[in-house]
Amino acid sequence: MKAIEVEGLSKTFRVKQKERGMGGSIRAIFHPRTEEIRAVDSVSFHVEEGEILAFIGPNGAGKSTTIKMLTGILCPDSGSARVLGIDPSKKRKQLAYEIGTVFGQKEQLWTHLTPNDNFRFFGAIYDMSDAETDRRIGELADIFDLGAFINTPVRSLSLGQRIRCEFAASLIHSPKVLFLDEPTIGLDPVVKENVRSLIKTMNRQLHTTVFLTSHDIGDIEKLCRRIIIVNNGRIVMDDSMEHVKYHYLNQKTVEVRLHGEMSLPPMQGITILKEKEGHIRFEVDTAVMKISDALRSLNLENMEDINISNIPLENIITAIYQTEGKEAAS
Amino acid sequence: MLTAVKNQIRVCLLSVKYNIMREMLNKVTFLTNIGFMMLNNAAFIIQWIILLHIRKEVGGYAMRDVMLLWGLAASCFGLSHIFFARAFSLPELIINGKLDSWLVQPKNVLFSVITSSTDTSAIGDFLYGILLICIFCFSFGRLLLFLFFTVTGAMILTAYAILLGSLSFWFVRADIFGNNMVNSMISFATYPDGIFKGTARLLLYYVIPVGIEIYLPVQIMRSFDVIGLLFVTGYAVLLFAAATAFFYRGLKRYTSSNLMAARM
Repeated sequence: MKAIEVEGLSKTFRVKQKERGMGGSIRAIFHPRTEEIRAVDSVSFHVEEGEILAFIGPNGAGKSTTIKMLTGILCPDSGSARVLGIDPSKKRKQLAYEIGTVFGQKEQLWTHLTPNDNFRFFGAIYDMSDAETDRRIGELADIFDLGAFINTPVRSLSLGQRIRCEFAASLIHSPKVLFLDEPTIGLDPVVKENVRSLIKTMNRQLHTTVFLTSHDIGDIEKLCRRIIIVNNGRIVMDDSMEHVKYHYLNQKTVEVRLHGEMSLPPMQGITILKEKEGHIRFEVDTAVMKISDALRSLNLENMEDINISNIPLENIITAIYQTEGKEAAS
Repeated sequence: MLTAVKNQIRVCLLSVKYNIMREMLNKVTFLTNIGFMMLNNAAFIIQWIILLHIRKEVGGYAMRDVMLLWGLAASCFGLSHIFFARAFSLPELIINGKLDSWLVQPKNVLFSVITSSTDTSAIGDFLYGILLICIFCFSFGRLLLFLFFTVTGAMILTAYAILLGSLSFWFVRADIFGNNMVNSMISFATYPDGIFKGTARLLLYYVIPVGIEIYLPVQIMRSFDVIGLLFVTGYAVLLFAAATAFFYRGLKRYTSSNLMAARM
C-alpha cells in the first residue's frame, strides 16, 4: 500500500526584486518588480508503507517546499498530494494526527520543562488521555533510552539527549509517516550515528514510513533503500540505492605504493589523480578498461601496497546534481 | 465538535500554564516585573489627581470615573497579554515564516499561536485594574460587570491585533502600520471619551474600536444599560470571528522559511 502519492505537484513563489542601492529602493516603490520562482515543478512520485526514502538535492532544489506541501504547511499551486489517503492542503488537522515531523533546524521542545512534561504537552496536543500518554512515554523511554534524564529540564541535556527527546516527542502519537528535514544537521559524528540508529529502530519496530531530506550522504547511504534526487524543482532521478551504486560505480579509485619511482603512461579510461615519489592514485573507468589491464601497465614486482575502492557516494551524487540538473534546467 | 473545543481549550490552558512556569523560573524577576508594572501604572494616577484637583471634571469624567476607565484599560490589556501575548507579535512570525511548528499540529493554528507566549508584567496590569475598582468604586454588581467587560475588552484588543497583524500576509511592512494602530488603541483607552469630538470620536468608535472596548463599558458601569451590554458582547464575538477568518484567509498565502530557530 502507498503511504505517499504525489502527482504533478507544483509551487511557485513570487519574490520582490530590487536594484542595488538607495536609488533601487526608491525605484522599487514606484515600479515594484517581482519574479516568479518555480520552487517545485510538476513533481510526481510515491512512497510505499514502511519504506525509508531519501529525498535529496542541492540547496534551493525544492526539497523543503515539497516536504512542507506534504505536511500541510504550504498549499500547492497545482497537482495533487495524498499522505495516507489524506489531502494535506484540505485536511491538515486530520493528517497531523497521522504524521510526525522533525525539522533539524527547528526545536519543538520547551527548554524549561523536563522531557516528561514536554511529552505530556504533546500528548494533549494529540488528544491523548493521561493514561495513554503515560503508557506511550514508557514505550518511547525504552526505545530511545531516555530513562536517565526524562525528569531533567531540557535546557540541561546534552545535544544528543535533546535530539533523542525531539524524536520521541514527534512519535508520541505513534505516527504512521515521519518527515525528517535535515535531522542530523549540525550534529557531531557520534550523535549522527545515534540518530541513524534511532531511525532504523523506529522503522523496524514500529514499521514507520520515513521521508528523509538530508545533505549528509552518510544518512542516505546508511538508512535508505530508495533515493529521489531533485534539482531546480524537478525530479532528476528516482531509483533504488543499489541501482544508483551499480549504475554509477563503474569508476574505481586505485591507490598503489611502489618501491622506487614509477609513472603511469597516459591511457584511455585512466585518470591520474596523484603521482608522487612512488605513490600513485588513479581512477579507472571500468566501462572502458578492466582493473586488471590497468594494473598490468604498472610494474607490479615493485608494488609495496595496493588499495582498490569505489568512489564515494558523495562524488556520485555531486556528479548527478551537475549533469542531470543541467538537463532538467535546459 | 464539543470534544474538539474542550481539547483545544485544554491545550491553550496548558500552554499558558507552561509559559507562566517559565516566567516563574526566576522568582525575583517574576515578582518585581509584576510589582513595578503596578507602580508604573500608579504613577499616572498622580497626574489625574492633580488635574482633577484643578477641575472637577474632565470630558464628563470625575475622579471615580477616571479610575474606572484606567482600571478597565489596565485589566483588558493585562488579560489580553497574559493569555494572548503572541497575537501582538504575529507580523514577526508571519514575515519570518515561523508558523511551521503550529501548522503540523492537529489544533487550531491561531489559538495555538496566540497562547504560546505570556507577558509577565501584564499580570501586574490585570491585578492593578481590579485593585483600582476595589479601592475607588467597589460594589459587587460593578465588580462582576467589570470582570465581564475585561473579558470582552481583551477579546476586542486581541482581535484588533490579529486583524492588523494578519495584514503581513499581504504587505511586507504592514507590521509598522499595525503596531501603530494597536498602540494608539492602548493609548486612547486611558483618556475620557468626552474630550474627543467630531471626526476623532468617529475614529475612536469605528476605526480604532477603543470606544467599544473601553468607553461604552465605562458608561454601562456608570449607568447600567442591557442593550449596550448586548451590543458590546456581540461586537466582541463578531470582531474575534472576523479576525479569525481574516487570519485563515491570509494563512493560505503563508510562505514559511528555512530559518534556524529554537522554541524560546
